[in-house]
Amino acid sequence: MTIGLNDFLIVAGLLFAVGLLGVTLRQNTLVIYMSLELMLNAVNLAFVAFSRYNGTMDGNLFVFFIITVAAAEVALGLAIIVALFRRRQSVMVDQLNSLSH
Amino acid sequence: MTAAQILLATLLTPLLSAVFIACFLRRRGVLASYLSVAAAAAICAFSFLAIRGLADEGTLRASLDWLHFGDFTASMGFLFDGTSATMLTMVAFVGFLIHLFSLGYMADDKARGRFFGGLSIFMFSMLGIVLADNLIMIFVFWELVGFSSYMLIGHYLDTDEAAAASKKAFIVNRIGDLGFLVGIAYAYWHFGTTNLEALESAVSLNPGMINTAIAALLMCGFIGKSAQFPLHVWLPDAMAGPTPVSALIHAATMVAAGVYFLIRIAFLFPESVLGWIAILGTSVAVYAGFCAYGQNDIKKILAYSTLSQLGYMSAAFGLGFPGIALFHLITHAFFKALLFLGAGSIIHGCHHEQDIFKMGGIFKKMPITSITFLVGVLALCGVYGLAGFYSKDAILIAAGLQGEVLFILLTGGAFLTAGYMGRLVWIVFFGAPKSDAAAHAHESGLTMLVPLIVLGVLSVVGGWLQIWPEPLGQIIVESQHALHQDQVAYDAMHHTVLIWGSAAWIVGLIGSLFFYGLGAKQDRLETRMQPLYQFLKARLWFDEIYGFYVAKIQQRLAVMLSFLDVFLIKGVIVRGSAGLVGLVGGCTRALHVGNIHAYVYWFLAGLILLWALASSLPL
Repeated sequence: MTIGLNDFLIVAGLLFAVGLLGVTLRQNTLVIYMSLELMLNAVNLAFVAFSRYNGTMDGNLFVFFIITVAAAEVALGLAIIVALFRRRQSVMVDQLNSLSH
Repeated sequence: MTAAQILLATLLTPLLSAVFIACFLRRRGVLASYLSVAAAAAICAFSFLAIRGLADEGTLRASLDWLHFGDFTASMGFLFDGTSATMLTMVAFVGFLIHLFSLGYMADDKARGRFFGGLSIFMFSMLGIVLADNLIMIFVFWELVGFSSYMLIGHYLDTDEAAAASKKAFIVNRIGDLGFLVGIAYAYWHFGTTNLEALESAVSLNPGMINTAIAALLMCGFIGKSAQFPLHVWLPDAMAGPTPVSALIHAATMVAAGVYFLIRIAFLFPESVLGWIAILGTSVAVYAGFCAYGQNDIKKILAYSTLSQLGYMSAAFGLGFPGIALFHLITHAFFKALLFLGAGSIIHGCHHEQDIFKMGGIFKKMPITSITFLVGVLALCGVYGLAGFYSKDAILIAAGLQGEVLFILLTGGAFLTAGYMGRLVWIVFFGAPKSDAAAHAHESGLTMLVPLIVLGVLSVVGGWLQIWPEPLGQIIVESQHALHQDQVAYDAMHHTVLIWGSAAWIVGLIGSLFFYGLGAKQDRLETRMQPLYQFLKARLWFDEIYGFYVAKIQQRLAVMLSFLDVFLIKGVIVRGSAGLVGLVGGCTRALHVGNIHAYVYWFLAGLILLWALASSLPL
């Protein structure tokens, strides 16, 4: 059995679905954050697979950018979550509703 | 001091006095009154200096730029020539005497600070008109005169009558001033300047520049301020103010300002407008003469007499003799100020009784007041040799040379004048006192008698042009020369006028004596000819017509406009747009739930929408 492009894409799609469900259903901000990263990595996987099977470097190039941006984003996001916890003593989204009207 | 500085000092002295009174002396009536009288005396002194300067150096022009709007420059300046010098002397001198009289008359008043402050600001405004060298400056001071008169008429502000009268005077004057303002704008557009001398030279270089509309619009200002037909209704009501105010504003100066303004811009008037002014003046002269018979209030009789004399002035102006109009203005200022101050003295002596049928026998109680008052009456009637004779005589000659209708009407007006003044004299001064107030009348104090005596002397000698100081009255002499152009016609007319004018006052005075009798208890015209009396008393129903117009037509229009304002502007436009924005805000606020998961769903929905649009799905 050889592993083809479709298999990579199915895995990537499953990973993306897991991430999306995590973002929509979980209450903990940290978990939501991890789910977001999972979605990004699902996309990365799809890019790399396309790149491999098309024989071009375009997909790889995008992946480098996404990893870089994601790293910066995580650094910022985690700092925000820490600051949030210091102020509110909670990171659960159902308690973070002071912007509601 | 240079001549310009003297004029500046003349103008600013009363302003300083008014400001000082308004700031510091409002509760110190005595000090305020002395300050105001001192300011009036200073004006007198300065104006005499200014006249001496005029005699030495000739006409003075000085002006400063005041405001710039693009190409347009408004300036403030003095044009001090023979005409303004004549007027300045009269205003300063009569003004001072009235200030002096007020010291005694207002001695018991509680609000003396406000009163004397008002007199000072009035003097400031009036002097501004007299000295101004351009139309805009005249207008500024013109409005200030309106304001001062509003303040002084409403002096007894706790009475409804005074409050209503002051409002009426102010509003009626505004109607005329609207025309005045439009006229100034039109004149500026037409001539490119508002400076009086520049206008005069423009017109004399090119007589085709004379414009009927400009003259008619500027005349509106005169009609309002000089209380000419149909805006005359405010003047009799303005008698609600204190008597010195009536003397100063409503006889000697403010109403005269309208005539003076006409004389200043006489060169702008074409024949047609002059003709209208002559007709207007003549009709007012006769109309007011009739109205005076229906009045019992001594001040209102004098007010109608003022109206009538203003009519004579505008008739003289309309006949093309501005100098004669100025002459009558000056002599009228002397004897009318005298009459009003005399009336004030009588009212003061009779404990504020103003009804002539409640007076009587005043001659014995107040001899000096009575004698000076009688001199004023004779001068007003035009008795030979007194001030009023010379000016009225000249007006009648001018009218006679013009045509028969005006002459007959104006001579009739002179007869009416003598008649109603005779009625007043016989009823007030003779017979027995008809009320306790009149029975206990007492002669007034020295501060009130001195102005009366001085004005009495002026009412006798004021018409003798030979004794006027040198630079004064040139324009009067010029107009008299114009009158003498056709010497033969003049001589013939002079005899006619002498006979008819004298007949008018003799018949008027003696006729009223026989008709009304000495010290009558009630108006015999009222008892014998009730309908005629009621007709005269109704004054052609002008107030009723205006009242109807205001209440039934203007008020309804105002209610309609107010409905439009409340419904359309306030309801639909303002509230409506606010409601719409509020509604949108409420809807979008409902989306703002504060739950992060909800935002995720919104984000997803937005993404799907974007995708659908991008792939151009039919939505």
